[in-house]
This record gives sequence, C-alpha cells and structure tokens, in this order.
Amino acid sequence: MSTTEAPILDPVLAPPFPVAALPVLRNAQLRKNVAHAIDVIQAKRARLVAEKSDWQALRAAAAAIKDQALGDLGAYLEQFEERCTAAGGQVHWASDAGEARRIILEILREEKADEVIKIKTMTSAEIQLNPFLEAAGVRTYETDLAEIILQLGHGEPSHIVVPALHVNRGQVREIFARSMGIENLSDDPQALTAAARQYLRQKFLTVPTAISGANFLIAETGGVVIVESEGNGRMCLTLPRTLITLAGIEKVLPRFQDLEVMLQLLARSATGERMSPYTSLWTGVTRGDGPQKFHVVLLDNERSPILARKTERQTLRCIRCAACMNTCPVYRQTGGHAYGSVYPGPIGAILTPQLQQFDHAQSLPYASSLCGACYDVCPVKINIPEILIDLRAKVTDRERKTAGKFFDPMYLGLRVAKLVFSRAWLFHLAQWKGRLVLRFFTRKDGWIHSLPSVGAKWTQSRDLRGLPGQTFHEWWKSRDQGPGTREAERR
Amino acid sequence: MSAAADHRKEILERVRAATAGTGWSVGFEDGDTSAAKGGEKGGITAGDYVRRGSLSSEARLELMAERLREYDAVVVECQPEAVAAAIREQLKASGRQTFVAPAGLPEEWLAPEFRWRIDGDLPVDEIEGADGVVTGCSCAVAESGTIVLHHGPAEGRRVISLLPDWHLCVIRSSQVVETLPEYFDRCAIREQGTGNIEQNKSPALVTWISGPSATADIEMTRIKGVHGPRFLNVVLVKEQGPGNREQALGIRH
Repeated sequence: MSTTEAPILDPVLAPPFPVAALPVLRNAQLRKNVAHAIDVIQAKRARLVAEKSDWQALRAAAAAIKDQALGDLGAYLEQFEERCTAAGGQVHWASDAGEARRIILEILREEKADEVIKIKTMTSAEIQLNPFLEAAGVRTYETDLAEIILQLGHGEPSHIVVPALHVNRGQVREIFARSMGIENLSDDPQALTAAARQYLRQKFLTVPTAISGANFLIAETGGVVIVESEGNGRMCLTLPRTLITLAGIEKVLPRFQDLEVMLQLLARSATGERMSPYTSLWTGVTRGDGPQKFHVVLLDNERSPILARKTERQTLRCIRCAACMNTCPVYRQTGGHAYGSVYPGPIGAILTPQLQQFDHAQSLPYASSLCGACYDVCPVKINIPEILIDLRAKVTDRERKTAGKFFDPMYLGLRVAKLVFSRAWLFHLAQWKGRLVLRFFTRKDGWIHSLPSVGAKWTQSRDLRGLPGQTFHEWWKSRDQGPGTREAERR
Repeated sequence: MSAAADHRKEILERVRAATAGTGWSVGFEDGDTSAAKGGEKGGITAGDYVRRGSLSSEARLELMAERLREYDAVVVECQPEAVAAAIREQLKASGRQTFVAPAGLPEEWLAPEFRWRIDGDLPVDEIEGADGVVTGCSCAVAESGTIVLHHGPAEGRRVISLLPDWHLCVIRSSQVVETLPEYFDRCAIREQGTGNIEQNKSPALVTWISGPSATADIEMTRIKGVHGPRFLNVVLVKEQGPGNREQALGIRH
C-alpha cells in the first residue's frame, strides 16, 4: 500500500512508539484519513450514548459482570467447556500462541482443508495465524470488508473495529482493481462494496471450513456470541461444515442474561449504533442448521498472569469496542500502526506490554497524556490512566535494576534529587545555587528558552520558567519580620 | 492427547492461582459493588439500569416501526385477519417470483401466485437462487428496532434468512417489547413455563437483526447490503387489545 512504509505489528520486532509514530506524523494523507473516520464514529457514539439515561448504570453493571467472570474464571471456563461439549462442541485449550496455531492446523488437516474463510478476529491477528496457515499450505480468505482491503493490499490493521480506517476510497479502488482484476472500477464505496460481495459470494458457498473469533462465551449455556455488521459473519457461522472459534479466556460471561447489558453497550460504543445489524448466538452444534462440527480454542497467551495483578485485572474486562482509541488525542495523531501491535490505542498501550510480560513494548505505557478520556468512554469502566501509571512504574522498576542504567543521566539525576529533596539545608542550598546558575539563561520575558547539555533535553521541546527572585520560604520570613505585619494580624 | 490435557490443566491452575482469594469484585472502583452484589440471579440487580420500558403499547409499536424505517426497512401495519393479504401485497410490490418459507409458516400466508420453496433441508443453491424469504420472528425490541429469531418452525434455519436478498418478516404486536432486558425476561419466562429452568434455559440459536446488512469500512460511508439481505420488509400485525397477551405472560421484575 502506498500509505506509509510497512508497519510492524509484532511487539517483539516493532520499534518504540516515538520512533514508529514518526512516519505517520509526517504523512498528512494518513492523518486526514484517521481523523475523518474517528470524527464520524465519535459523533455517532456521542448521540446514541446521550439518549441512554441509564448509561452510567449500564457501565457499572457491565464492569461488575466482567469482574464476576474474571474473579471466578476457572469455574466459568470449566462450566463453559462442560455445556459446550454437551451441546456437541469440542473445546481445546491453548497456553500460548504456538499451541493455538498448532491446534487449529491439526483440525484443518483432519478436515483436509486447504482453504478457510475467516470472520474478523483480532485474536487470530494476535497469534499471527494467517501467515502461519499460509506457510502450512492453507489459503486464508478474510471476509470482513476492511480485512479484505488489508489482506489484498498487504496492509496491517490500525484499529480493532474499523481496521482499514487509514485507507481511503482511492486506495481501496486501486487494491480491488489490481487483485480482483476489475477494470473501470469506480471509487464509489457502493461499487467497492459490491465488488467485495461478488468476490466473496462463491467462497462462502464453497469453502467448507471457517475460523471465527468470539465477542462473548456464555458459561451458563456453552453458547458463543458474535456481533457484526455485514453478514459475512453469519455466512461463516452458517454455511461451512466445520467452524473453529478462537477466543481469549477472558471472553466468558457467567449468564445468558448478561448479554442484556453487554449488547446495549457494545454497538453504541463501537460503531455508534443501537445494536449492530447482526448479532449471532449459537450453542455447540444444531442438527440440520449450520456447521455440524464445532471447535472452540480457548487461548491464554499471557492473560492469566494479568488476573493476579489487582489494578491490571481490569484490562481483561475489555470487550474490544475501540471507544478508547476513538477518543484518544494521541491515537488521533498517530493512528494505530505506531503502537506496534494489533491492539492499538489506550487499550493496546496497557494490554500489549502485559501480553509481552514487559519484555517488549515498554514504550507503550508512555504513549498517553493521561488525560483520562479513555476511562470516561470505556463501557466496562477500565481505569486506563491508573493502569498506565502502574505499568510505567513496573517498566521503570525493571529498567533501573539493570546494571547498565546505574550511571544513566536520568537515574543519576533522580538519585541526586532524592538526596536533595530529603534534606532541608541541601534543598535551600540547591535553590540558591540554581538561581545563580539559571539567571544566566533566563531571558527578559522570564522564561528559559534553551539550556546546554542534559538540560537541552527539556528545552528542545518546551520552555522552562525562570526561577523567581525569591523563594516562598524567603518571602514568608521577610513578611514575618516586615514592619506593620504584626499590627495587621492583630486587627 | 496428553499434551492437550496438560494445557488444560496448566491454564486452569494458572487462572485459579491468580484469582485465589481475590474475590470477584476486585478492581471495581468507587467502592460501589451494589450493582454486582445482590439479586436472585446472583448478579446484577433489577432497577439498577432500565429494565422495563415506559411506553404505552401504541407508542411501543410506533417506535418499533420508526426504528425499522430508520434502517430503510419497509414497514406496513395490518389487523390480524389481514396478514395474508398484507404479505401478498408486499410480495407483489417486490416484483419477485420465488420465495423460501420455513416449514412452520402458516399455509394461508403462501400466496398461490408465487413459487414457494418450503425449507426443511433445501440445498444451499436453491435458497441462494430464490428471490426472497418470508419468516415470522420470536420477539422484537422496539428501542433498537431489533428483530429476534430463535429459528423455530416459523423462522426456519439460519441460512434461509441470510442468503436471499429480500427478507419479509411478520411481527405480531404481542411479540414487541420496548427494551432489551424485557426480551431477556421473556426468555426466562418461557423456560419457566416448560419447567426447564436449571440448565440451557436460553435458546440455542439466536439471531438479532437490527437493520439490513451494512458496512462503513470505506471512509465511514454507510453502505447497505454487503452479504446479508439488502432489503428488509416488515408486516406489523396489530392484534386485538394490544398488550393483553403480554400481561397474561406477566413480565417479571
């Protein structure tokens, strides 16, 4: 795609956020595409949230439901397994990405499948399933319009609900015309959508195996729920002989009735609709209706350690609505690729480092201004700023314990600061000295515009106010001893 | 096979170790767990968020029709004795010839001047080749303009309301609730009636349809009809004394 140099969404290989963000910040077209898409969704969401008088109560209920599920996750997973199995499904457990890929390939081999149709699933992107299957000789066909655009254009998702929002109609036209071999294709979204419908129809009717993700797993019934707009999901859930669903273990809800809360929140938050056009629920296998073989792969992949951390556990409440990235001032400027993960935006900034056990993506907790907009819109009340701060502490703690960082100017400076701030006489001395030194750099307007050496790290991107001629302590003393002060107090 | 068992054991052990003794309300901020604590269902309490609608049955039906029209659906209203005629009119107006119908659709709805393919186990290409489909529904939610299919005898298999490009759905006024929680309450009542409340009390297959298939993936421009039916038609049947039947069912608090 001509949009930007190829983004890397593998956190192990991706450059740090500030580096990865640069090409996007320089790409005016890309930023325009992202801003436009976000403005549209934001406006729709705001309108539909405003019409719900009980929005805050729904958010609180959703958070409580997810906390209940997460707090007793072992029991709910076992209940889901039991009920799903009783209904004719087969449940598999995958500790990590490699195991999930292996299980899925094994099922496909058993089915003698050399091609597979897919419903958009971020979890499959997380475990990098497509390249793995292609390498093993299984052709994968994404069926969500945005995913087709990315697959045919060799692009990467930049958003979890509208993955191709960074691509504009001209670029889509180019991709479709080239890979579908259509001449004279117009760039009208209607025509482009029709081309995709045509392209996929035969696949839906003939490919006997499908892979999906899941929005919710219902422990009480063993049911699985998928929320979608286009109908490609319903095609994949209905027409093939065999269906494989890949789901993170955190997707479990205790009861069927919990959907009454989740479904009211999800579409409003994600796409600014009261309900998404199609929500499908199925339970195991139904004779005569839909796939007669059904597999669920439950994926841990570093989710269980998150459960153990009190603050961070909230991360797993996420229902992947993307409201946080739509509202985030940082995401708005950088788009999704800068996050170096299939999960961008504020939720990605907290989820990715944890899924990587802090070995990678350490820059992501800093990819935020901590303004809190993400927390305000989150339908399951994940306190993202709180978690970001917590993760920053974890990243820093890890870093400063590494040997090479002892003489790092920042940590050196912080140790000196600790010393100075904990002794009053040193503090006063430092104030006095600092005033003497900084006076040389303070301009007439009272601001310091540039500092030499280490200080330049601050002043190259912002000004520093010059120190005042008098400290508070000095002022207080002078006031105390000044003539007439006691008089004034007595009155 | 033993490797698979190991993964299961390993994940469950890790999850149990991580959640042991923490309780499920950990991380719930504001110190307010009231929404999560009480309730006979062991979860959320009623009255916390809006469960029951406030509209009169008249207004509820109006809202349902309005929402459906917002989705570009064609909505016609009729009296119970005029359902067959209303359907026939819609079929005529569509200019289409061949329709799929589920086996449980009332026979008088199948107007004789059209070709009907009655589904039991129709092959996919016969469904794909039809011009449209006529079904009933299990419930409808006015607030979001949602049609709910449980895929019973009058709704048919999932595939028949998916492949044809034109879908006509008959909704009886007694099937229309105002809010989504009211729909879930109805599911619970139905199962109480059957005495089967302990396990699998919810329907095994559900499709919630809220407007025709759509996408906004290209520059957020809403385009109708990607893969599902592009045309949705609704016959809304105004039964005598609307609401009476619902009261007879009794909505649980």
